[in-house]
Amino acid sequence: MIIEISAIWCNSCLVMKKVWKSVKEEYQNIKWKSLDLDFDEAESKYQNLEKLPVLIFEKNGKEVSRLVGEKKKEEVIKWIEQNLV
Amino acid sequence: MIYLDYSATTPVNQEVIESYVKTCQNFIGNPNSLHKLGIEANKLMKEATEQIAKLLNIKPTEIIYTSGASESNNTAIKGIAMKYQNRGKHIITTELEHSSVVAPLQYLTNLGYEVDFVRLKEDGQIDIEHLKSLLREDTILVTMASVSSELGIMQPIEEIGAILKEYPKCFFHVDMTQNLGKVPISLENIDLASFSAHKFYGMKGIGGLVKKEGILLEPLIHGGKSTTIWRSGTPALPLIVSLAKALRLSLTDLLEKQEHILKLNTYIRKELEQISGLHINSSEKAIPHILNFSVLGMKPETLQHALEVHEIYVSTQTACAKGTNPSTAVMAVTRNKEYAKSSLRISISHLTTLEEITTFVNVLKEEIEKLTLK
Repeated sequence: MIIEISAIWCNSCLVMKKVWKSVKEEYQNIKWKSLDLDFDEAESKYQNLEKLPVLIFEKNGKEVSRLVGEKKKEEVIKWIEQNLV
Repeated sequence: MIYLDYSATTPVNQEVIESYVKTCQNFIGNPNSLHKLGIEANKLMKEATEQIAKLLNIKPTEIIYTSGASESNNTAIKGIAMKYQNRGKHIITTELEHSSVVAPLQYLTNLGYEVDFVRLKEDGQIDIEHLKSLLREDTILVTMASVSSELGIMQPIEEIGAILKEYPKCFFHVDMTQNLGKVPISLENIDLASFSAHKFYGMKGIGGLVKKEGILLEPLIHGGKSTTIWRSGTPALPLIVSLAKALRLSLTDLLEKQEHILKLNTYIRKELEQISGLHINSSEKAIPHILNFSVLGMKPETLQHALEVHEIYVSTQTACAKGTNPSTAVMAVTRNKEYAKSSLRISISHLTTLEEITTFVNVLKEEIEKLTLK
């Protein structure tokens, strides 16, 4: 599962929304969950959220990897592929 | 105390406070009441609105009073998106926007709207050709700030407005919070424009949205007629009168004020350019009121607090953003992560003196040296 953490006031998060949407269409077999930093109290569930947006890759309920900040679609895909191995 | 954060907010002009107090004392009626006190209040409200309209060169019916620019931006963006969703769900913006533009756009993205960002040139102005290439049949709104709050970059609003006139299905919203009362722009080719009184020596809690005749909006606040049907609530007469006063005063002797600010800006730039490791992020397209710079390797909040010890008040990012994210605006213009992580903004006014600026420059140099040695 991939957890995407963003904030409504964060410009980089808005930039990444379109990228994530496009990536999700190519990886429909992966479950995605969206959390808003403030409204969903994401900081009570995940540590070190100083920089946004954040993608967290989880396997069996455990965090295995993070991707932080504005990234190109190819970078997100590369990160997913590395974690799928 | 040396206040260099006038873009965050300004001290209220004494005459503005007096107009507010006098209206509170002498006009107690609700402008929508039909008795004598209401009629008198309504007459004053119309006079104030006519004055504001004249100063902005628009019709009195084109003003919607709000609590400030955040509400105006929300009203414009969500209002257009909801009302015209049958035309399309595509919106264009820039990476220089205030969080009160970013947040409603995120909200709309979650509802299925699509947002594209127009590319910026090296000087921070938008790439007009890229904007043209982004415009589609289903584009319903282009929204951007005339002057970015963090960097002070001024966009060629008249030129953009003229281009967008060729796209009658697409509305043009301008967040003019940082230019009104500082640098004039024409509202001729703009459909909607947001502003806030506290940015030009007015009271906090009052602002406006200019909405040109014939444009419809889905209101944020429903409740029937107020000053307009587009934003309900008892008209805040004392605040409206104080807004008219603040706007008139801010536009008085504007050229002289601009000249004074430009002189100060030129002096600061000259001095800051001599500091090793300091990079000025505001390009030549920035208004002289705002100067954004980065001191490499130095956390902006550390420098901000070091200046605060000397009672010098500057800003890191905009007052309304939070978190420790690098500045998206600085990153978008400079394309340099280190600059984006270490940016500070000073914003000056016609009230700022050369003596204050000289002190600021000297203290800044000392503090950078001290922090570098640590």
